[in-house]
Amino acid sequence: MSATAVAAPAVHSLWTTAAAAPIHAPKIEYAQLSPILVVLGAAVAGILVEAFVPRRARYGTQLAVTLIGLAGAFAAVVGLAATGYATTKADLAAMGSIAVDGPSLFLQGTLILVTAVGVLAIAERGLEPQSREVPHVDAFAPQAAAVPGSEDEKAAARAGWSTTEVFPLTLFALSGMLVFPAAGDLLTLFIGLEILSLPLYLMCALARRRRLLSQESAVKYFLLGAFASAFFLFGTALLYGYAGTLDLGGIAKVVTGDAAPNAALNASAHGDALLLIGGAMIVMGLLFKVGAVPFHAWTPDVYQGAPTPITGFMAAATKVAAFGALLRLLYVALPEMRWDWRPVMWGVAILTMALGAIVAVTQTDVKRMLAYSSIAHAGFLLTGVIAGNKQGVSAVLFYLAAYSFVTLGAFAVVTLVRDAGGEATHLSRWDGLGRRSPLVAVTFALFLLAFAGIPLTSGFSGKFAVFSAAAKGGAVPLVVVGVLCSAVAAFFYVRVIVRMFFAEPRADGPSVAVPSALTGTAIAVGAAATLVLGVFPQWAFDLADKASVFIR
Amino acid sequence: MKHTLLAAGGHTGYYQAYSVLGLVAVLGVLFVAASFAANRLLRPDVPGAEKYTVYECGVDPVGEGWAHTQIRYYVYAFLYVIFAVDAIYLFPWATVFAAPGFGATTLVEMFVFIGFLAVGLLYAWRTGVLRWI
Amino acid sequence: MSGQSFLSTSGTEIAFVLVGIVALGAALLTVTTRQLVHAALWLVVALGALAVEYLLLTAEFVAWVQVLIYVGAVVVLLLFGLMLTRAPIGPSPDADSRHRPLAAAVAVAAAALLVTVVADAFRTTWITLRPGAGSAEANGIGLFRAWVLPFEALSVLLLAALVGAIVLSRRRAARPGVHEEADD
Repeated sequence: MSATAVAAPAVHSLWTTAAAAPIHAPKIEYAQLSPILVVLGAAVAGILVEAFVPRRARYGTQLAVTLIGLAGAFAAVVGLAATGYATTKADLAAMGSIAVDGPSLFLQGTLILVTAVGVLAIAERGLEPQSREVPHVDAFAPQAAAVPGSEDEKAAARAGWSTTEVFPLTLFALSGMLVFPAAGDLLTLFIGLEILSLPLYLMCALARRRRLLSQESAVKYFLLGAFASAFFLFGTALLYGYAGTLDLGGIAKVVTGDAAPNAALNASAHGDALLLIGGAMIVMGLLFKVGAVPFHAWTPDVYQGAPTPITGFMAAATKVAAFGALLRLLYVALPEMRWDWRPVMWGVAILTMALGAIVAVTQTDVKRMLAYSSIAHAGFLLTGVIAGNKQGVSAVLFYLAAYSFVTLGAFAVVTLVRDAGGEATHLSRWDGLGRRSPLVAVTFALFLLAFAGIPLTSGFSGKFAVFSAAAKGGAVPLVVVGVLCSAVAAFFYVRVIVRMFFAEPRADGPSVAVPSALTGTAIAVGAAATLVLGVFPQWAFDLADKASVFIR
Repeated sequence: MKHTLLAAGGHTGYYQAYSVLGLVAVLGVLFVAASFAANRLLRPDVPGAEKYTVYECGVDPVGEGWAHTQIRYYVYAFLYVIFAVDAIYLFPWATVFAAPGFGATTLVEMFVFIGFLAVGLLYAWRTGVLRWI
Repeated sequence: MSGQSFLSTSGTEIAFVLVGIVALGAALLTVTTRQLVHAALWLVVALGALAVEYLLLTAEFVAWVQVLIYVGAVVVLLLFGLMLTRAPIGPSPDADSRHRPLAAAVAVAAAALLVTVVADAFRTTWITLRPGAGSAEANGIGLFRAWVLPFEALSVLLLAALVGAIVLSRRRAARPGVHEEADD
């Protein structure tokens, strides 16, 4: 009797400080938010550069501002991790809105590095055909509002305009991604989701070549994304109706019965339906961003239509951010609902792996094939999420870091293989590439082998980690399905390798553009990460393992 | 505090205040409906093809009723949305920033918010979308 | 107690139901009419009716946000967006796609699910409305104490959207220097 009386206020003060503290100025821990703030500062600086720096100097200034900002943000993440915020000093900052803990800092660090490599590919200006008047041509439309194929568009290209706004927009997307896996409540989660999505929708529409395809992809992504956001919001409303709080930790308390649910709920119904349907709708919104079946329909079209450097950035970074948020939601807010969400996630994971792997076999376009491969990988990652233990968290963290660099590298290689119409993405055009440009073909083969999960690549380490975590978590049948799907997936990756090295090169085949140091560095970093995480994965496993505890 | 005063007034005060507003709205709708109905009842009804043409300052209309608008209007409308959102947040802010326990932090927060939008406005100005040519 | 008010408590409820029917009807017309501009105008009615519903639920501030932002700004944006298209005035026969029945089924299913879930959870619970709980002041306290970070993040979202809209829609003159001040 007395024990409960003592315990009740303690529980109360643990998680309602944000909601009910009487007269305290709102507290914002700027130091703990510094990675996000630095990225935002760089983004705003980028907008100001766009407004005030003469056009001639804009590109260089933007690139410098972006890279310096990313370096600063990464230093901030390392600083926070080194001072123990990843482990002992993990904390909820900004009135409970941002969780600064191991998974947050690990994913934020990964995201910043991924963006840095992605920005290098985005900044490439040496691949498109150039002229004396226009010495530098990037991958983006010079004037997005011009009608595709019109005189207007050609004039814009001749004038040598460029859309250097992609740098600040990328940073805005990154700031949303940094918030997304660290959000401590559903409202912050939603705003993070919107901040990361909106710049991506826009950048999808900016391809220099194949404008119609690019615009179509942007519209599709936007409409389906808005639909998913609506589901997410409905789910948020229902969960709030159930728990009477938006804090993830607070919701968990209500689920376990440590805190009272919304007093207005009908006593006999307990609001279980609210909890189940609300949770399901939020998870749906996140699965959409992840690209899991049955919410994957946008993936191939968007990956194909978007400018390839953006596709690479989006494919790598969105997956990291969205899986981070999914992990936090399922492990912090709904851990007690495990027996409800696990069967559903089983189904989603099996469908995702199978459909991604099987449909990828029929693809004839490199970008679409990589899109379906990313769907399959979402399924592999889901097996790690389903594991439901600490090992599952660290496996997913490792897999995300490994996968994102492979993806960046692979899409960067796609930008190099070109013919008169721009990038030659049809697979038949890649025949015999290995004879013409062995270095590019070998690098691409390395990325494909990593996707396939061949030993000594990072893909193998990642798959091994998630599958063993899932097996330990009692999901052995799921692991069997995962291994089978990996085998199917390996088939189409190897098929591309065979085409590149053993098919006769075509007379009118594409040429391989010589990249500048920017794309070269991006590919080199991707390849190095793939090999290092494949051959010496232990230090990264240790890091992910140390970072795998969520603050509640 | 005003808050408690309102609460003391209870339902009656709140709904009474708004019922006046509702009444005015209903009266407005009724007035328009009644005038149009009276108009229809009292006017002579002699339709003719010419009467169905669009009225354009007394000249014969040119082209269709629909024309593509310039994309500039869109940017203006968008700026309007953004600054409407900005302005709407000033209301709750104005009620609390001087209250005890808020103070300078809250003041600074609003200026940060406005500062972000001001950067956007600067960008719009410098890219020339605000100039009407 | 409630005898002296112009609208008794039950009067509020009757008004709530009637306005709800208006909102539902206008929303249905928005998605079924074949005239695009009419759809936008029906949307105004639906959003306005929702604002009245918020008022009746004593969520004053949200109601006026609904009027200012949605009825005022967003619909204007929507209309300008419509006018950028080639859609003619009058019915657009091609506004329908073959998926109409499927879309209707999904919409009905989603609505049924949401209504059932909420109705089942709260059933006959009587929630006493507290005027003032939805005032600007109450919202301000919540916003600037608990939700400071999402609030600031919102300004980032607005800035990104503004820059993005300008990037997508800007037309520069073919001769450099005519439209853009930031040229050299």
